[in-house]
Amino acid sequence: MVTPGQPRRNTLDRRGFLARAGGAVGAGLVLGAPSIARAAGSPNDKIQLAIVGFGKQGRVLFEALSSVPDITRKVHFRAVCDIWDYNRKGGMAKCRALQKDQPDALPNGYVDIDEMLAKETGLDAAIVATPDFWHAPHTIRCLEAGLHVYCEKMMSNTIEGARSMVEAMERSGKLCQIGHQRRSNPRYRYTLEQLVRGHAICGQIVNINGQWNRSVNASRDIGYNPKLTIDEERLRRYGYDSMHQFMNWRTYRDLSGGPISDLGAHQIDIFNWFLGCRPKAVFATGGHSYFKDREHFDNVMTTFDYDTPQGEVRAFYQVLTTTSAGGGYYESFMGTEGTINISERAAFTNIYRESSAPSWDELIARGYLKRQAAPAPAGGGAGGGAIASYESEAPEAYQLPGELNLPPHQPHLVNFLDAVRGEAELTCDARHAFESEAPIYWVNPSAREKRRIELTSEHLDA
Amino acid sequence: MKHLPASATALLGLLACACKPSESAGGDSSTGAGTPGGVPLVSELPPELIEGTPKPMKVPNLEPAAKAAPEFLVPEGTTLLSAGKPVTSSDDFPLIGDLTLVTDGDKNAGEGYFVELMDGLQWVQIDLEQSQPIEAVWVWHFHSQKRAYHDVIVQVSDDPEFASGVTTVFNNDYDDSAGMGKGGDRPYVETRFGKVIDAGGAKGRYVRLYSQGNTSNQMNHYIEVEVHGAPAS
Repeated sequence: MVTPGQPRRNTLDRRGFLARAGGAVGAGLVLGAPSIARAAGSPNDKIQLAIVGFGKQGRVLFEALSSVPDITRKVHFRAVCDIWDYNRKGGMAKCRALQKDQPDALPNGYVDIDEMLAKETGLDAAIVATPDFWHAPHTIRCLEAGLHVYCEKMMSNTIEGARSMVEAMERSGKLCQIGHQRRSNPRYRYTLEQLVRGHAICGQIVNINGQWNRSVNASRDIGYNPKLTIDEERLRRYGYDSMHQFMNWRTYRDLSGGPISDLGAHQIDIFNWFLGCRPKAVFATGGHSYFKDREHFDNVMTTFDYDTPQGEVRAFYQVLTTTSAGGGYYESFMGTEGTINISERAAFTNIYRESSAPSWDELIARGYLKRQAAPAPAGGGAGGGAIASYESEAPEAYQLPGELNLPPHQPHLVNFLDAVRGEAELTCDARHAFESEAPIYWVNPSAREKRRIELTSEHLDA
Repeated sequence: MKHLPASATALLGLLACACKPSESAGGDSSTGAGTPGGVPLVSELPPELIEGTPKPMKVPNLEPAAKAAPEFLVPEGTTLLSAGKPVTSSDDFPLIGDLTLVTDGDKNAGEGYFVELMDGLQWVQIDLEQSQPIEAVWVWHFHSQKRAYHDVIVQVSDDPEFASGVTTVFNNDYDDSAGMGKGGDRPYVETRFGKVIDAGGAKGRYVRLYSQGNTSNQMNHYIEVEVHGAPAS
């Protein structure tokens, strides 16, 4: 197992990206397999794992882990903790099905995390996928019990909670990975390391644009069978006023950060990670435009200002829960020589070269990029309705040389397991996650107070 | 399978317009238009509830998602045979929920309304408790996310083991990955409208439905299955 502080550098060159992403080798399922092979052999080498919170996100993480080759030879799911019998029993059954050929296939189930930590003395690590307001308490209790922790993002519903997680990680000496899964995604790592930093294909990045748009129907309250309602006493003991609040905690201010936290945090993290710095100011607006009874804004638009070594950068981000049109979810890094649109969805990932930029032919010849089919002429051709004299020449479109065909969370989870074994460095530990998340905590206050907030170390430091 | 000429299909469009929004009968998501001269098959449809981020569906020859209630004609007097009937499955320990949900009449999306069976080729089987002619099987696997289930095969038999006297009324296993022979029916996208399968009057006591994971994950799900046919004599 791991000794923190002796990490192995994770880098991803072109050949590594192709191998991991599956573009050159076809299957794509090779990702992670070689690096965990060392744990195979003795059952004692298995990481003894607990899942704390087996709701929707807990299931996503479990399913991502389930498809890691030979996962049951590397990990044993020993305990499942969830206050909802429906979630807990389902999680236990899923673990048993996955581990059906292993001894002790059925994990132990717990309603209460303190009882779990008291009884399960053989645990090595925990995955925390509870609602945001429980992230800090659950993560800290696990770290203090000597477990390594993978905790879903957002770190907490409050910046104080997030700070306490950083402090607990460093005090305990245990690993604490935060679930910004793009940090381990080969597409993102390759783009940053090889294209943005290695070959500077954007030139000077001047602007960033990002969005996550969902339709009304994809944003409605989560339904549940009333026959399965948790009794009132248990709900209140764990911080919920009602079953509706338990199911829809993302819409309540005391329990979550709302859409800018749920969806925006993934992408604003990428802004800060790619730029390698934190913004100096935030200015946001939001409203209860459709879901008028919700405590959080249903639509938020925000800007961030950065001072980078290359120069100033302005970033815009919007999260909509009332409209799905407009290109899905992506981050766009717009520079003087090129623009990178990147997303977890391959369909939203495209790269464009400005007509005035140096040729990328050598990058194509060396396999760093692929050229797309010829772009449509500016203005859509004859009769396209554009005023030609106002238009720039259409940029050429390119693609990455491979694509990720693994569950999006899998590389990040595998990175965590590798790190627990001391075979890798975490790609997003709590301190680095905090540095990137901290500005996000100031978006809602800016929108509520309708004012620009100049971000200082007081706002941003852990 | 039974198919209607174009003129009859046009007539069905008019019939559909007369339906109440919460009810439906045969159409673009069904495998056929049903019985000429019959009456619309009707069932209460659940509200739409889409959750989470959609995942790509990489399936050849995928039928587009239904945008309206299916239109399907059945002989007059056809009735729901499966309500509350016993259900068994190839998975002794469902991962989420239980098998009673398959015939409990509740088609809502959301937590607690579906049963999840483990990965691999799995089946659920409804015991109608009598052998009867079956006109249609209306199935909702899981509709809070756009997804397509693999190897959907529906069979009717009087043999609870499905070893003999088996009639296959639907098979969209285009590559024989289930090992039961290739089927000519199209893969389709799950929606709140469900999928109406033309059973063509096949007679049997048991209805068995197979699947082998879906485009979002490897598991198998059922919210509700309705078997419609002639009432018990």
